[in-house]
Amino acid sequence: MIEAQHLSKIYGSTVAISDVHFSVAKGEILGFLGPNGAGKTTTMRILAGYIPATSGTACIAGYDIHQDSLKVRQNIGYLPETPPLYTNMTVEAYLHFVANIKGVVAGNRVQFVKNALRRCQIADQAKMIIGKLSKGYRQRIGIAQAIVHNPPVIILDEPTAGLDPKQIIEVRNLIKSLAGEHTVILSSHILSEVSMTCQRVTIVSQGSVIATENTDSLINTMKSTTIYQLKVGGDFNVVKESLESLEGVTKVEFCSEASFSMLRVSTLDRDKNLAKDLANIIINSGLELYEMTNSRPTLEEVFLKLTRQDL
Amino acid sequence: MIFLGNLFAIFRKELDSYLLSPFFYVIACFFWLISGYFFIYILANLTQDAAQVDQQGVLTSGIDLGAEFLNSYFNVIISLLLVILPALSMGLYAEERKRGTLELLLTSPITNISVALGKLLSVVTIFLILWSPIIFYQSIAFSATVPPISLSTVLLANAGLILFSTAVLSLGMWISSLSENLILSYILTFILVVFLWSIDLISHNLNGSLGDFFSYISLFKNYGPFLKGQLESNSIFLLLSYIVAGVFLTTQSVEALKK
Repeated sequence: MIEAQHLSKIYGSTVAISDVHFSVAKGEILGFLGPNGAGKTTTMRILAGYIPATSGTACIAGYDIHQDSLKVRQNIGYLPETPPLYTNMTVEAYLHFVANIKGVVAGNRVQFVKNALRRCQIADQAKMIIGKLSKGYRQRIGIAQAIVHNPPVIILDEPTAGLDPKQIIEVRNLIKSLAGEHTVILSSHILSEVSMTCQRVTIVSQGSVIATENTDSLINTMKSTTIYQLKVGGDFNVVKESLESLEGVTKVEFCSEASFSMLRVSTLDRDKNLAKDLANIIINSGLELYEMTNSRPTLEEVFLKLTRQDL
Repeated sequence: MIFLGNLFAIFRKELDSYLLSPFFYVIACFFWLISGYFFIYILANLTQDAAQVDQQGVLTSGIDLGAEFLNSYFNVIISLLLVILPALSMGLYAEERKRGTLELLLTSPITNISVALGKLLSVVTIFLILWSPIIFYQSIAFSATVPPISLSTVLLANAGLILFSTAVLSLGMWISSLSENLILSYILTFILVVFLWSIDLISHNLNGSLGDFFSYISLFKNYGPFLKGQLESNSIFLLLSYIVAGVFLTTQSVEALKK
């Protein structure tokens, strides 16, 4: 339903995105994940037809974003980072206006607006002036304007930004309810957010796609990783090579303190507990082992690992 | 048909937005007060002058009071409109840019030209609402003038004024699309319009083709014939050109925002 092919956007000498490519199947929710400044908004804007790509293209609902821009715009609902609201209008009047310019025929407009109000749970606020509503409601009105004409594709740019935890859960459930009937792409810089809403995630960093994975496999990767923290006495350099050569160890980091050293050993040990092997190496090398703890990396740590080049 | 539907949707939205804004009523009150005051002031002065001339034994039948009033009053109104019209047009696009709603319009299946025309039509309608009481005043005053003033002169003066205002609003709309700062938009429109208004004075000091060109593009010069009851195709063409140029530049400026 969405097929981005080698999208690049260059502003003067600044490369906003480079060779971005991904696809989204019909009815799927794809998370577009990356830190601030990674090029998420630029990509969303290109897909929505707001700005053209410098090179590359994308097909949405079978139409090319550059060749058939008007057709693409008919087939998408778009929520920019800041919801585009006329704060002096009532919710209902605003949605009627959006339905009108999105091409909903006059006879269907009332029904389409009612549906959008119901799906976004804002029917009780229909007669309210938008400017008097809370940020949570405004965000939902933003989503309502994106779905009011029942488009096959919905593009949401940071749909939960600035919301409180309760509002985030509400908006998340709303987005989940769109799957199946609509194809959704949403951008976010919060991995846990994406993992709870999307079936697949495309991770971008510094304008390029660095991974596209199923959310489940990303969580499995996270679960299969264990980080051991060891507090040892003595010269840790003598065990460095032994630790690194141990099967399952992916990374060994050291941090020296006055009388002891902290070792951080990252392992991939889906079925194996390496605690005993690590302790044996330390003790057999004549070092003193004061403490050993293990933990799983958080989603945020996985995200940082993927998006930071120095790791 | 779709084009007209979209144009009407934008027109309705803009019109509602003006009519719901307290700012519009402040502008309207200001305009009606000042224009009403000058209407009475100029009318009273002219009547007094005519009475004095009558008392001195000179017949006033040779003085066309109606035309005299029309000329004086419309010149005052034009000066007032140079201040009022930029205030009406300053928010047309600047406001959309400021609150991010331009992104909604530009990602909707509507063309830039239908948005620009819908906006222009709405702000011209707002101007006509402001102007309507003045038409009522005129109908009372001119129905009582002796010798009677010709209806075509009054209609042409009004038509010229509406054409002039539409041209200013169209240029104002273009300037509004250049930034998201309303004050800047107001100031730049005011400067541009005053320049196009007064360029006729500059043209007097210039010789050759540059002087002719300045004189040709002057709003003042091209509004003049309407006030005299003359229908000049050159003036109509130039004012219409300003309107078309304003709309065209607006669409280009909005298109440039998408780069």
